[in-house]
Amino acid sequence: MTLPDYHFTSAPLWLVTTLHLLTLSLHLAAMSCLFGGTLIVLWAGVRKQWAGPDAAGFVRVLPAATAATVSLGVAPLLFLQLVYPRQVYAAAIVSGWFWLAVIGAVITAYYAFYRTSFQAHRTGQVSPGLLALAALGLLYTSLVYSSVFALAEQPDLLRALYAKDQSGWVWNPALGAYGLRWLHMVLGALTVGGFFVSMVGQKAPAMAATGRAAFVGGMAAAAGAGFLYLLTLDADLALFMRTPAMPVLVVALALSLAALHFRARKSFALSGLCLFFSVFGMVYMRHVLRLVRLRGSLDLAAWRVAPQWSPFLLFLVCFILMLVVLVWMARLFFRPEPEVESQRKHQP
Amino acid sequence: MHYPFWDQPIGYGVLMAVIAVFHVFVSHFAIGGGLYLVVNEQLARRAGDTDRLAFLEQLSKFFAMVTLVAGALTGVGIWFVIGLLAPAATEALIHNYVWGWATEWTFFVVEIAAAMLYFYGWKRLTAKAHLTLGWIYFVAAWLSLVVINGILTFMLTPGRWLVTGDFWQGFFNPTYWPSLVLRTGVCIMLAGLYALLVASRLEAGDFKARTVRQAAGWAVVGLAVTALAQAWYWKAIPAAVTAKALESMPTPIRAIMLSLWLAAALGAGVVALVILAPRRFGTVAALGFMTLGMAWFGAFEWSRESLRKPYILVGYMYGNGAEVAQTATYKRDGFLPQITYRTGDDGADLFRHACRSCHTLDGYKAVKPALAGADRAYILALIKGAHLLRGNMPPFLGTAAEAEQIADHLYQRTDHRPLAAIYPIDGLALGRRAYDLRCGKCHAIGTASDKSKSLVGQSAEDLSGLLDMASSLGEGMPAYTGDPAERKALVAYLQSLGLGGKP
Repeated sequence: MTLPDYHFTSAPLWLVTTLHLLTLSLHLAAMSCLFGGTLIVLWAGVRKQWAGPDAAGFVRVLPAATAATVSLGVAPLLFLQLVYPRQVYAAAIVSGWFWLAVIGAVITAYYAFYRTSFQAHRTGQVSPGLLALAALGLLYTSLVYSSVFALAEQPDLLRALYAKDQSGWVWNPALGAYGLRWLHMVLGALTVGGFFVSMVGQKAPAMAATGRAAFVGGMAAAAGAGFLYLLTLDADLALFMRTPAMPVLVVALALSLAALHFRARKSFALSGLCLFFSVFGMVYMRHVLRLVRLRGSLDLAAWRVAPQWSPFLLFLVCFILMLVVLVWMARLFFRPEPEVESQRKHQP
Repeated sequence: MHYPFWDQPIGYGVLMAVIAVFHVFVSHFAIGGGLYLVVNEQLARRAGDTDRLAFLEQLSKFFAMVTLVAGALTGVGIWFVIGLLAPAATEALIHNYVWGWATEWTFFVVEIAAAMLYFYGWKRLTAKAHLTLGWIYFVAAWLSLVVINGILTFMLTPGRWLVTGDFWQGFFNPTYWPSLVLRTGVCIMLAGLYALLVASRLEAGDFKARTVRQAAGWAVVGLAVTALAQAWYWKAIPAAVTAKALESMPTPIRAIMLSLWLAAALGAGVVALVILAPRRFGTVAALGFMTLGMAWFGAFEWSRESLRKPYILVGYMYGNGAEVAQTATYKRDGFLPQITYRTGDDGADLFRHACRSCHTLDGYKAVKPALAGADRAYILALIKGAHLLRGNMPPFLGTAAEAEQIADHLYQRTDHRPLAAIYPIDGLALGRRAYDLRCGKCHAIGTASDKSKSLVGQSAEDLSGLLDMASSLGEGMPAYTGDPAERKALVAYLQSLGLGGKP
């Protein structure tokens, strides 16, 4: 009996790649609101720029932001594993314990966010200790992700590290290859977080000012770190510059500036949209850079494509339904009917 | 073979179980708990029962904390851990079922969003809106089970997929429906047990009695559905798999028997509680029932995982990641050329990829004590005849030279002294230890392959002669190479078995 071969992709590569980039952009947007927002609240607390009810109100949003980050993080990881399992799993195995500890770090952060949120609801104050614990959990996660995904793009280093140590306690030592990349990501999170804080705190001047400062400052610093990171690519940079990523980089930068412009005019919807597509552009560049770095060890054209259209159609229908249901539930929740008071039968 | 091997001291099975078992409890509870909340909210609102509504709101807070955080993240954790422990199988599953997982993700997102809005909506929303969110939560959570169940059952019973490779034939495989009913029953049972736990902390009185009775009803109904579905599930498993388990795989059979006893104890306990003392029902009893319920479910999952052996994807991929379709290649070219990540120590690399996914050297399912006192020839024979050992080990598919390399690797790490020198025992105790190590790996007492009855009446000389010709008695039987003291003790032990004695 000839057994089925699993070395195939169940949809054309462009489709899988598009879904990966789109869902990863959504995840990064949510993660940046959460991570950047948390860092800003902590920073503002230390500098006593804004605290009390405003900070407490913002902190109460963070559990929902965590839920969004986690939920939106599942799909890009799935699509990534479909195309790059050999690279991603290999890097994760070499750093196995650090990788697995991400789950503990995120659970800790999640519970800390809930605890802080409940406390803020009760007392109107923010607990900086719990928030710092949550931030540490997220910081750890970001470091591990940068380390592991950078290692996944260095097959020779991966082999050498594994040959020396198979225990799963290996941390990617090539800090030069991902340090600036990690910094760029954190500063990017600060930028998006700044936008998020200033949007949530539209009616709180101190909060809005802090958010605005993080938005503008973070964007400048992220751009600087991003360019420095490109300079560390050495030979890969020349190849990278010959790809479609360069025009995308220009567009993404223009979108970032447009986001600043619209934010200055208090047009949050347009600013947010520009910012999201700017993030999408960065994600696309990240994807192109991965292909550049894996040239010689990964040939995507060699993948056999055997589409599974009926399961894909089911997914598509469910995806659309998911969007419809999410929008409908949000409208239901945020626009309570006028007769809510009279209909409510229970007030515990 | 295409991946590095995570050589950590904890057994793969233990690590997987720690995360997976916790997640399956929470995820099933998340579904049943959602149904419990929304059904009871509907009844309470209809009856204007404010006590019950307050109870449900209290229940929903902890429910949200457990399911949203621990449930969601341990689900992601399973993904992380299977990628680390069984990357090849995970890759095969993702390539075949990526759209199944992607569809499940859409339900997961709705489930999480609805749970949050339901939890935060007690004071904010109208009764109708709140109930609608509750129902959306439950339906999304259950649909996520509907999808995952297809992938999970595929691993044990891939059915026609092995011939056609068709997504739907693999998804709606022979155990899909019984497993779905069984897991739905588990969801209801766990919801009832959890409600019992929360109810146990209520003040004694009519409300507590009502709540305890109702929660007990959920637990019993869930358990009944589960028990019937478990029988259906067992029948749906291909006869070849169940027959093999009954003949030579004591672990899944023990797990199934344990699950039946636990189910009976739980059912009897909960029914007795409803009749005897619903008002005075305390937290200790509730915790006891919860533990029994989880132990039952754990035993079931254990049996399911054990039945799959020696495969991780039955008929397709062995537990060590070796692909059935590549058998001829492995036998012709060996394992080593297939191993992408090498360390320079071929024996160690071969041991990792052939054995280490189930066995550690010193810890979980340790190899060193199992090979204590053995010589190299005996170790080599065990490697070559691995598939004959209790029927749940994959065959060694590499070349003869590679088997020698593994034997060398293990021989260098085991204690070669005679058993009597390693363990301070003698007489029948030494004989029993020798039997366990030399014979019991295939002929465990009490199993279908137990040959002790054929030894009745044999003299010490006969039995000693039998040991001399061990290597010619059957396929893969290793030669007996114990020292004279061990041989004498083993013969005495064999005689005691023949006399019906089981020291």
